[in-house]
Amino acid sequence: MSFEHDLLAILPRLRRFAASLSRDRADGDDLCQAALERALKARDQWQPGTRLDSWIYRIMRNLWIDEARARQRAAKTFAPAEAGEHVGHAGDRDIEAHVHLTDVDRAMQALPDEQREAIALVLVEGLSYKEAAAVLGVPMGTLTSRLVRGRGALIELMGEAA
Amino acid sequence: MTDIDEAMLIALVDGELDEVTRRRVDRAVADDPALAERLAMHRRLRERLAGHYAPIAQEPVPGAMRALVEESARVVPLVRPAQRWRGWVTGGAIAASLVLGLSLGRLTGSEGGPIGLHDGVMVAQGALAQALDTQLASAQGDAAIRIGLTFQRKGGGWCRSFDGAVAGVACREGDGWYVQQALPGAGQGRAYRQASSSDARVMATVDALIDGAPVDAAAEAAARGKGWR
Repeated sequence: MSFEHDLLAILPRLRRFAASLSRDRADGDDLCQAALERALKARDQWQPGTRLDSWIYRIMRNLWIDEARARQRAAKTFAPAEAGEHVGHAGDRDIEAHVHLTDVDRAMQALPDEQREAIALVLVEGLSYKEAAAVLGVPMGTLTSRLVRGRGALIELMGEAA
Repeated sequence: MTDIDEAMLIALVDGELDEVTRRRVDRAVADDPALAERLAMHRRLRERLAGHYAPIAQEPVPGAMRALVEESARVVPLVRPAQRWRGWVTGGAIAASLVLGLSLGRLTGSEGGPIGLHDGVMVAQGALAQALDTQLASAQGDAAIRIGLTFQRKGGGWCRSFDGAVAGVACREGDGWYVQQALPGAGQGRAYRQASSSDARVMATVDALIDGAPVDAAAEAAARGKGWR
């Protein structure tokens, strides 16, 4: 099977991953397009026999992180990272103080990047912890703690904590 | 109260628990309505998120994206150039694990290395398993494998950091030690160095896993006495 054939087969999932990272669908498609261009240019760096999807998830994720950093430099209007961290840390104690956001997109956007990418890979893309940790280049323990904090924040933001 | 924490509930929902732990969580959930509700909440969250984004993967891919890939298929010759180890950025992790794998394989020759794979999980074996089972950090002389910290992980269970030809952290699961991390170590047969190049990364793993503080020598010996249960 050719590289392009395999790439076409996973395109719908790549596009979904891009959407789950991005602010809106248009940004998601831009990100996906940029990741495709980079993957095609760097195709001889992909090792046949390894997972093509994981490789491009990683390319896409790195582009997204670069872009997010550039945005943060450009506009300091972003909430500081600690504010995002706080969302992740807020536990049951703070439920009465939380803001009800019922929209999944908005809740995902409110997550710190490191939690959002972990949630996207495992809950949306269905990767195993091992695969997701490899894509993100972090130890399993780091991945699982991000999943715990990210989920806590999502539940709070989406008003799922009955 | 039970010793089932959020991370274990979540791992159950994500299909990441081994059989023994899964049964333990199932039992605890059956006995505890509050825990059952949290489990249901995590299941709902996963379904809701997956369901929210699922339709995107069902849509036709935009023409521009498809064209980009199809165009590439036409201009790139069918015979690809030989693989080059040029991509150290994207290939770095693969390269590192390959190098580590080679060194793991080479250590003990035909007996197999200190780490084996069981269902895709790294499990300590041979001398490493022996050291994790029996060696106390307070009394290890000039052993080839050094035990560093012994600690309880979040959610329960013992973990130990180690250094030698391979450095990392392993946690007790059932009768074995699951290796959470394996990195090139400070070396075998050399005097113990306080700081191997992998130390910072091992410490990051310890930080991510640890519940409280590492135990002292007495508690370490007591845990060994109980077979790390």
